[in-house]
Amino acid sequence: MTDGTIINPPEDRPSSLWRDAWRRLRRNRLAVAGLVVLAVLVFVAAFGPWLTPYDFLSQNLDARNLPPSLGHPFGTDDLGRDVMSRVIYGARTAFLVAVLVTVVAVLIGVVLGAIAGFYGGRFDKTLMWVTDMTMSVPQLLLVVVINASLKQPISLWMEARYMETMNPLYRNSAIIDFVLVFGSMALISWPPYARLVRAQVLSIRNRPYVTAARALGLTNRIILTRYVMPNAVGPLIVAISAGLGTAMVLESAFSFLGIGVNPPTPSWGNMISDGLRVWTNYPHLLLAPAAVLAVVTVAFNFLGDGLNDALNPKGQK
Amino acid sequence: MIAYILRRLLLWIPSVVLVMLGVYALAFYGAGDPIKLIFLRAPGDVAYDPVKIEAIREQAGLNQPFLVQFGTYLWNLLHGNFGNSLFSGRSVWAMISAAAPVSLMLGLMAMIVTALVAVPLGMIAGMNQNSRLDYTILGTAVTLWAIPAYVAGPLLMVMLLAVLPSGAVPYGWGGLFSVKIILPLIVLSFQPIALIIRQTRAAVIDVMTEDYVRTARAKGVPEHVVALRHILRPVLTPVVTQLGLIMITIVNGAIFVELVFGLPGLGRLTVQALINSDYPVILAVTLIGSFLVMASNLLVDLLYPLLDPRATDPKAART
Repeated sequence: MTDGTIINPPEDRPSSLWRDAWRRLRRNRLAVAGLVVLAVLVFVAAFGPWLTPYDFLSQNLDARNLPPSLGHPFGTDDLGRDVMSRVIYGARTAFLVAVLVTVVAVLIGVVLGAIAGFYGGRFDKTLMWVTDMTMSVPQLLLVVVINASLKQPISLWMEARYMETMNPLYRNSAIIDFVLVFGSMALISWPPYARLVRAQVLSIRNRPYVTAARALGLTNRIILTRYVMPNAVGPLIVAISAGLGTAMVLESAFSFLGIGVNPPTPSWGNMISDGLRVWTNYPHLLLAPAAVLAVVTVAFNFLGDGLNDALNPKGQK
Repeated sequence: MIAYILRRLLLWIPSVVLVMLGVYALAFYGAGDPIKLIFLRAPGDVAYDPVKIEAIREQAGLNQPFLVQFGTYLWNLLHGNFGNSLFSGRSVWAMISAAAPVSLMLGLMAMIVTALVAVPLGMIAGMNQNSRLDYTILGTAVTLWAIPAYVAGPLLMVMLLAVLPSGAVPYGWGGLFSVKIILPLIVLSFQPIALIIRQTRAAVIDVMTEDYVRTARAKGVPEHVVALRHILRPVLTPVVTQLGLIMITIVNGAIFVELVFGLPGLGRLTVQALINSDYPVILAVTLIGSFLVMASNLLVDLLYPLLDPRATDPKAART
């Protein structure tokens, strides 16, 4: 796409990496569609409580298992709860988990990967070895083991804190759920980020401008944070956008299996597994969360592909 | 060649043992005392007798240091003994060998379906790069990749419900040659198909720029012969190397597919063990899953020099 600059009239503002990338992204219709879907998701997740006509917990036993109608666009479930309100609260759960897990995983991955790539040596070898191991175990099974292992210690610790402080917050099982989900997911999600950052740093480390910075007598820390890392950000952003989608799917997967967020906290995953029990009679209970989850994950993938093309123009043939 | 295989094997065995060590350590330090777990499960009137527990522990070797216990576990594994389920008391090995054939058949069929569907589609997409056909295939692949099995399965079932009477929608296991296998098989193949379509497409685009392809075309070789003779063969190499990744998607996917469609395989065994915190079973299934993935990676390493002789020939590798 290099000839685009010749055809287009020269712009007043100088072109930068980010402005070029944004221009390329806007031209990709699928990526824009993905971006729009995700913007709606963020909006709904942020303002959910003010948008839903019903509370996600309020039961109306006179209105159980209703098919979709004007009053309940997605129908109601077996306890007469409004499914649309629950799907909207599910967006909050999904978003919260995805963002927090990705932030933690990226922080761990960037720090470890940058140190390993920049300094090399024994630390680098150990790190690559650990990531190799982690990535050769099927993710889901690893999470299952971590989750099951963490459950008891965390519950015991929370119980002990409760006994100490009598703060009812420590007895809230939703918090234990979230800590477990965040913990086990972050523990398996950082290795790809670490490998990516390490590879980036390795390729940047010996560029002339880094050598120049070193010749000026700058410290390693400043070279790493000011010269190396800013140039490794592009691929990282692509990985983060894909990672957010993966984290969201993982959360719903665990909740589906009953080891993630447990009822009554709504999550798309546990709504799907509830719906699966009665799907022959009330398919809408299954259809609503499944369709929303499908649309969101597809949106993440389209956006990720678009970002990849926009930020790595050299990769395009 | 033999030296290469031996070197690979020698590097592979320690990594398998290390993965086992990691998983075992998680279970060992996290799950807590298995004897206590058994007693907690027992009916309420069983007294929690510390002396008795100590005796059982001594007998079962649970007072030994971590590494000794791990060694014993490995030794038993080599003899096909995975211990007993905490929940049912049955031998884990028996539970696994009852469930494994279902998953194995399903997984193998999914691989065959993937190879038959994805490679031709990827070839078509790659040879018509940036055409409408290419975008359609690629878009479908991205969609298939994005939608998890526990979403695709239910969605397909609900769609079928609109066409079929509710009793006729397939559910459960009827063997390899029953109609019921079709839907789970389709859903399980979605992600691997998407993966291989994208791989094949990228590889085709790469190969199409080679001189020998242009030469063949210039000589007037018909397009389908170019596709089968000149393009397919080099394309298969990078595709075959994805076997490990396919194995991961199939192992992950099988858990959900079996749960959604009510198939009595390893995936459902895992989920039941998870609900019951049945540690020996979880441990065994995780080890089997990791072993399958690592074995696929090893297989790829061993097959690679056959597909691409440059891999083991140091002289050729440099050119």
